[in-house]
Parts: sequence; C-alpha cells; structure tokens
Amino acid sequence: MHDIAPEAVQFIDLSLTTITFLFIVGFIGGLVSGFIGSGGAFVLTPGMMSLGVPGAVAVASNMCHKFPKALVGAYKRWKYGQVDIKLGLVMAASAGVGVQIGIMIQEWILKQWGEAGSNLYVSLSFVVILVVVGGYVFYDAYKTQKAGGGEQTNPLARWLQSINLPPMMHFKTANLRISMWFTIPIGFATGMLAATIAVGGFIGVPGMIYVLGASGLVASATELVIAFVMGFGGSVKWAINGMVDIRLTLIILAGSLLGVQLGAIGTTYVKEHMIKTVMGTIMIIVAVSRGLAVPKYLKQLGVISLEESTISLLMGASFIIMCIALGVGALIILGSMWRAKRAETAAEAALALDKGYS
Amino acid sequence: MLNFIKKIQGKERDREENSPRQEAGPDQEARPKPEVSRKILVVGKGEAPDVEVMDYAVNLAERLGYDLIALSVNTALGQKGRFFTPYKYHLREKFTHRARVAGEALQKKAALRGVGLEQVVKFGDLRSAVLEVHRQNKRIEFVIAQNGIKEKEVNGDLNIPVFTITGYQGERAMAKEADSRGSGVIGKTVGFGLATAILYAAVFMNTETVMHYFTKGAWYAALPIVTVFAFSFVHGAFSNYLWEALGIQAPKRVQPRPSAAKRPVARRRPRPELRINT
Repeated sequence: MHDIAPEAVQFIDLSLTTITFLFIVGFIGGLVSGFIGSGGAFVLTPGMMSLGVPGAVAVASNMCHKFPKALVGAYKRWKYGQVDIKLGLVMAASAGVGVQIGIMIQEWILKQWGEAGSNLYVSLSFVVILVVVGGYVFYDAYKTQKAGGGEQTNPLARWLQSINLPPMMHFKTANLRISMWFTIPIGFATGMLAATIAVGGFIGVPGMIYVLGASGLVASATELVIAFVMGFGGSVKWAINGMVDIRLTLIILAGSLLGVQLGAIGTTYVKEHMIKTVMGTIMIIVAVSRGLAVPKYLKQLGVISLEESTISLLMGASFIIMCIALGVGALIILGSMWRAKRAETAAEAALALDKGYS
Repeated sequence: MLNFIKKIQGKERDREENSPRQEAGPDQEARPKPEVSRKILVVGKGEAPDVEVMDYAVNLAERLGYDLIALSVNTALGQKGRFFTPYKYHLREKFTHRARVAGEALQKKAALRGVGLEQVVKFGDLRSAVLEVHRQNKRIEFVIAQNGIKEKEVNGDLNIPVFTITGYQGERAMAKEADSRGSGVIGKTVGFGLATAILYAAVFMNTETVMHYFTKGAWYAALPIVTVFAFSFVHGAFSNYLWEALGIQAPKRVQPRPSAAKRPVARRRPRPELRINT
C-alpha cells in the first residue's frame, strides 16, 4: 500500500473543470461533515481517481484536507457547546489502534485475493455496515420525528451506563458516565472502518449515540475531534511518503472550509433528529451505490460473468448515486436551515411589530 | 433561613402598619388585603423615558414579575418664582399632555407583556421628584435611569439602587447580541479574504517549486502540514466572517438553558405571613 516511490507518482495537471469539481464537492462535503461529523471523503476519493489522480495521491490529498476542515468545524461547534473533547480524545486513541488493525486486515486480504478481492471486501463492508447501521439510524430518526422530536437515550446505552465496570469515565458535555471498556470498542470500530472505507464517522457517530448514549448533536460534533486526530496522524504519514498533492488539498479546502462552517451553523437551527435523518439517508444511498460496484469485483474474481458495457454502466451509476447521496444530504441540511431561519425571522418580525409603540 | 423569613415577615408587618388603612375593624383579618406589587421606577428627563430604556425595563419587569412607574421629569420648568409666567404654565400643560399621550402608549405596550405601568409627570429637580414618587408609592425596589442621568442626581436621601442604561443598546443588549453586521465584520471579511487570496496566489503562482519541495517526503512532510494549518486559520477566519456578514449565524439560544418558569396569569400571589387562628 505504501510502497509506491514518490518519483513514480504522476501529479495531474489542473484544468478549470477539475478545480470547479473539487471546489464544489469540497463545499458540499464540508457542509455535510460540519453537520453530521463526517462525509465528503467517500465522493472525493473516487471522484479524484476518476479525474486521473493515482489512488494513493487521492487518498493522501483527501486526508490532508480532512483534518484542517475537522479542526475548523470542531472549533466552531465547540463554541456552540456541542463538543465533548474528552470523549473525542478517548475515542480517537482507540480509533488509532483500530486503523492499524484495519490496515493489517486490508494488507492480508490484498495478499490473499489480490486487488479485486480487496475492493470486494471494501465494497461489501460498505454495503453491510451502511445498510444495517444506516437503516437503524434512519428508522430511529423517523420514530423521533413521529414522536414529536424529543431525543431519548437508547435502552442499550442506558443499560451499559448502569454497569459499573471500573474505570468509569464521566463525559461532561455529553452528560454521561460510562465504563471506559465500552468506549474502546466503539473507537476501535471507528478506526477499522476509517481504514477500510475512509469514513469512520458512519460507525463512530451512531456508536456514540446508540451505545454510549450521547445526543446526536454531541456525537456528530465530537466525531470532528476524532476526524481531526486521525486525519492529522494519517496526513503526516502520507506526507512523509511525499504523496500529498497540496494543490488538490488546497482547492478542496477552499470549498470545504466554507461548507463546514455553514454545516456547523446549521446544527444550531434544526431539530436534533435532523442530524440522524441526514446521516441515515446518506448512508443508505451510499450503500446502494457501493452495492452496484460489487458485480465488477465479483467478475474480476471470476465468480460471475458480465458484459464489459454492463460493468461500466454499473460503475457510472454507482459514482452518480454517490454524488446524489452527498447532494441529497446537502439539500436536506440547507432546506431545513432555510425553513428554520424563515420561522425565526417571522417570529422576530412579529415581536418587533408587537414592540412598536412610539 | 428562619431568621431571614422572620426578617421579611417583620418588614411586611411594618409596611402594613405604616400604610393608611382604608377600613379598620374587627373583621379585617379575615378579608384579603390589597396586594402591593413590587415596582421599578424608570426615570427620564423627557416626556417619557427613551424607547430603549423602556424596552429594557419592560423586559426586566416581565421576568421579575414587577410593575413599572415611568417618571417623566421636566427640570427646565421646575422653579416657581417671580418669573414664573403664565406662558410657563402653558408650557407645563403642554408637556403634561404630551407626556400623558406617550404614557398611554407605554401602558398599552407594557400591558401586552402583562406588566402594569403607571405614569407620573413631575417638574423640578430629579432628586425631589424621585423622592416624592418614592414616598407616594410603596415597594419601589430600584431605579432605572436613562442615559445621561447620574446616580447622584437621582439618589439623594433615598437608599435604593439606581441603575443607568448607558448607550442606547437597552433592550437589544439584554435580549440578544447587538447586530454584528456592522463595518467591523465586513472589514474583517475583506481583510481575511485578501489574506486568503494572497496565500492561494502564493501557492498557485509557484506551483512547480511548491510541488517539488512538498512532495519530497521525510522532513519536508512538515511543509504541507504547516501549509494546511495556515490556510485553515486564515481561510477559516475568512469564511467565519463571510457567513456572519451574510447574516448567517447561530441563533443566540444555542445552549439549551433551563427555561424560566412561565409567568402565571394572576401575578399577585398572597405572601406568606403569620396568622393566629382565633
């Protein structure tokens, strides 16, 4: 995975299309990650690769934009009192271990079944995890919305919080007390997923909500801390190998720093279950997208036979659906922000009218 | 705690004794006594205290469950002496009339928020006007003075706190943060925007050199890391101010605070007092 010599890496020439694409995807990805704690990477990496960027450079440049974006987003949401730094750091520490194990598994699969096997493993993990976890997140958001919007701690989280297994840890902002032993697997799984599909937040945020018992708001904000720590570590590693294309990174960063702040502001406008709705929706659409990529890898492994044109059609559809996932997420965020802002303006206007007496 | 309650009850008794009793009789204990609400005295030098000061006072009164007395003092027409001409009487009448009109508007406005408001018009110096009002009205807890009135002017022999609203932020300063879409934010947006543009220009105009050193690996790895940090600070600040300048910022009630208890419709609750059942 890391054995590509820097000299052999081809850095692409920038065109206006490339710059526009990266800027817009950066902005939308930033918006989504400011809101739900992660996102964007799953479109950016394949997107950059389709522009001709070598895989390693795409991953490296993407990661190098991720941690400053997460830093800015986390700072903004910390100012809103949504970030539990302690929880973030504890999770990040165990996630670091998870990443190493995840990479080891990847390398082992690569050695056993080659690149197609590795890709199949990645796609299948995507589909299985996203369908199961995303489906539950979406169901829970739907349930909360129907019940009127009030979030309640999950029964599993309540049960785990009641188990007194030292060392117990108290997380002030998340307002929960839980044994350290239950936070470790969540962080570990986040790291494993980050190493596999590059979006650890899809496990980290639901894990913090449903297993540890944090609110959607705190979980998504804390995920940004985890993303910063992990992204920073990863970027240093990639930069030492000379893989970071700073031009690509900076263009994505230009869009995503605008987006991440808008997303963070968005969380203060909308009802809490909106975070779950957006996350669930994106996860399920991404799962469909990755599901479409599975036949290609099955064919490469010789399990099934398919026409080449069908494969390219499926891959095209897969990428477009991936973009749709991000777009839909962004639309839901902007739409609900717009509605909330309009309601607020109307209320302020009514109050001002009420006040005018002289 | 007990001492405190006793002290309050003692004060209550004193007040009851000092107040003129309309009906004194053996059956008085059984009848509910008229409740006297606590009051804030708002002092202004014009026909009515400024809008901002009144907004602040009405907000405060609503939250505390107090009533308001708006005192309009005309210091210019105060001294009655040899030179007090009929024209000055006319001016006084005119001032009183205008003050009453303004007072009625204030009353309506306060009534919307469930706050009782009484308007008083006085002539002469502030100190004696406040003293007089204080004598006539029981339970004035403190005084809010409009900008430009010094505490010394108001508080002579009285022993009640006087607060001055400085500037004209009044209600806005209390209810929400002042509108920050001023030139400061726009200036910062432009400043950080320029700095961001310079940084981007610096990198993209020297792409070859930058790419040569930044992809060398090993210790040169610090270059891209430091660069993205620098960009995230400058560009991050720029985008922060940009959204703020565009009016997109978090509403003030971000932190869910324990909301204050809703004000009951009947605000005058009977106060605890000792009674002897006979």
